[in-house]
Amino acid sequence: MAEVYNWHLGRSMAYAFPEAHPQKQFAAVFNINRCIGCQTCTGACKATWTFSRGQEYMWWNNVESKPYGGYPQHWDIHILQRLDEAHQAAGKQAEWDQAQAGESAPYGVYQGLTITEAAGAEQQALGYIPPDTEWRAPNFYEDTSTGYQGDRLGISTAGASLPEHQTWFFYLQRLCNHCTYPACAAACPRKAIYKRPEDGIVLIDQARCRGYRKCVEQCPYKKSMYRGTTRTSEKCVACYPRVEGSDPLSEGVPMETRCMAVCPGKIRLNGLVDIAADGSWAEAPNHPLYHLIKIEKAALPLYPQFGTEPNIYYIPPRWAPRPYLRQMFGPGVDEAIARYAAPSRQLLAVLQLFRTTQRMIFRFEIEEGPLVLETEVNGQPWQMFNDTVIGFDAKNREVARLSVVEPIHERPAERLNSI
Amino acid sequence: MHKRSRWLGGLILLGLAATLTFFRIPLASSQGLTLRSAPVTGALPVSDPGSALWLEATAIEVPLSAQNVTRPMLPDTRVKTVTARALHTDSQLAIMVEWADETHDDSMIRVQDFRDAVALQFPLAAGQPFFCMGQQGGNVNIWHWKADWQADIAARADMNTLYPSMHVDQYPFTAAVDPLAVAPADYVDPNYLPALASGNLFASATRASPVEDLIAGGFGSLTAQAAEGQNVQGYGAWADGAWRVIFARDLTSSEAEDVTFAAGQVYSMSFAAWDGANGERNGQKSTSQWVGLQLGAQTDGAAQPDQPRPSQSSAAAPSDPLGMLYVFGPMVLVAGLIMALAGGALALSALLRPKDRP
Ligand code: SF4
Ligand code: SF4
Ligand code: SF4
Repeated sequence: MAEVYNWHLGRSMAYAFPEAHPQKQFAAVFNINRCIGCQTCTGACKATWTFSRGQEYMWWNNVESKPYGGYPQHWDIHILQRLDEAHQAAGKQAEWDQAQAGESAPYGVYQGLTITEAAGAEQQALGYIPPDTEWRAPNFYEDTSTGYQGDRLGISTAGASLPEHQTWFFYLQRLCNHCTYPACAAACPRKAIYKRPEDGIVLIDQARCRGYRKCVEQCPYKKSMYRGTTRTSEKCVACYPRVEGSDPLSEGVPMETRCMAVCPGKIRLNGLVDIAADGSWAEAPNHPLYHLIKIEKAALPLYPQFGTEPNIYYIPPRWAPRPYLRQMFGPGVDEAIARYAAPSRQLLAVLQLFRTTQRMIFRFEIEEGPLVLETEVNGQPWQMFNDTVIGFDAKNREVARLSVVEPIHERPAERLNSI
Repeated sequence: MHKRSRWLGGLILLGLAATLTFFRIPLASSQGLTLRSAPVTGALPVSDPGSALWLEATAIEVPLSAQNVTRPMLPDTRVKTVTARALHTDSQLAIMVEWADETHDDSMIRVQDFRDAVALQFPLAAGQPFFCMGQQGGNVNIWHWKADWQADIAARADMNTLYPSMHVDQYPFTAAVDPLAVAPADYVDPNYLPALASGNLFASATRASPVEDLIAGGFGSLTAQAAEGQNVQGYGAWADGAWRVIFARDLTSSEAEDVTFAAGQVYSMSFAAWDGANGERNGQKSTSQWVGLQLGAQTDGAAQPDQPRPSQSSAAAPSDPLGMLYVFGPMVLVAGLIMALAGGALALSALLRPKDRP
């Protein structure tokens, strides 16, 4: 076991391999608040990668209804329970010390055990293999909310009032996190899983895989999947021909993946961030992902306590109970929701960039516009400006230009009914 | 000074013993067991575990224990012993391995299904490398029999074998008329079976043998030989709570990655077994130490039923001086502990002794 630095946890941790970081890292931000649960992303991935024999049950991308839903069923409850048992056995608490938050520990310091630290001497990480019955559908408990608290007529007056809805669910969009410290790679006794130095994408070498399913067992997110037809495991490939710019459509510049590019809810923003030699994110305040994650801290990692440093970040749903969200996204939840509910000028502008182009955006600029609205959010004054955000691709060409206020085009009277 | 060196010596011994114990490095290798292959004439019973010819061979019981050197490990593996017999002609060697296993696990289709399996391992150079997968510079040749491959030879199992009621409209890029009957061989473009396209034998559309021929040079290095180099035959059958598996190969091979045999010679070999029902696969397995393999010289063609039974002092058994450390390890640990305790007591008494007063 080596010691590696995990900035999500704000501390060093044990991992199977010593630190070796890619030059760039595949990453994305998902705005949970906007997802309509349409599964277009899920279908796009299936239609691209998993329509063949033995892949029938595979959904490399899936969208599940929280708190009850999950693919595989109850995956997060199962791993959280094992982690909890390990804490109890060790007499430890899975707590965060937020007082120690700083530059290299943005959410404070995690004082509990990761799945690697809780594993014991015999395994690389805590884990389990979900049986086939738990993989049957991409969204068990679809749209099932917590218990409805209505009045005599079945109407709830307080059900949907903020800050926390009394009756709630939300969609969680999931794919492989292309983790900085992948548990799947640590688990593989054959080193058949590798993280690409050019973009941090984690892949299973199909020539070396021997179907041991240690990755299926020890990926805490359950995003490595077994294919009985070939007797090997497969996983999300991050649509690497698109990310490389080698897909004919991409015209040589990195392109967003299939599941990102199809999203009608415009909840996804996908890109590549520069990684410094020590594994930290190279400072890039005008990179939209860097801005959302590092500067605004509006987007947070999924279950950071697992310790794999996942690279898909989420803007938490602002209506869900905070203790549940803190368990899922760590202690940064309250600040992230506060920033999202009353966004700064820059944040509001960057949020417009979601799903405006298939090209990955590497840099943005903001042209300031006039004040268009003055109001109050959560009892505080808040102003909205009609700024314009401009996105640039890998070759520094303009690929997106949007104003905060969406332009309105009025149809002339004589064409009112024309198509 | 004298006291310090005694302390130091104790600590070093203690450290050594603790290191050996902590890493659970089993330094023993030779157990003095030798599998004596009986020379026979005519065809070897390579696919008949019930053949009377096997009675010509002296059976040995080989104890197995859970692999406990590297992760992942499973302390409670189920196969505790295997029975081995060997026969050879002047051109071929056959080894039969038998072990008790209550469950017959020959499917690898569902995510939770693991196969039963057994493997033989032979060093590729003189001497004995590390008994578990060899080591760098000490490659081993491994013959790995798999219950699912055996079942595949009769009929390659696929999704519809396990899920007979499944429905699929079509699988693109296949030539089959009935989508439910699509097999790897029906793929017009193998890239949709990436493991097959990259030459992984696991994904092969057809199987000629249930045995995979591999090499390894340490943990994590196990590599299948190229498809052309797959030259180990085999046959396995499960009945009444036991597997009987036969491996067979020509005595000689022109491949550098293959072990070769000659009558009258002594070789080293070891065994490993997996119980699929217990989730055993990879290093989560039972292994044996090195065992001798001796091919009896051909006599006038008759078997040699009267060959001596294997014994602990057999001169034919490969010797391994390192094995002695296994015996001395615990002794060293105890001695180190005693020294450390004695040293500690001395130091403590020196501290507690009242200072001389003027
Ligand atoms: S999410 Fe799972 S499969 Fe993906 S890189 Fe992380 S540990 Fe591996
Ligand atoms: S990135 Fe590509 S391969 Fe991965 S889930 Fe999305 S569409 Fe599927
Ligand atoms: S396509 Fe977008 S909106 Fe639809 S389910 Fe997926 S993430 Fe949500």
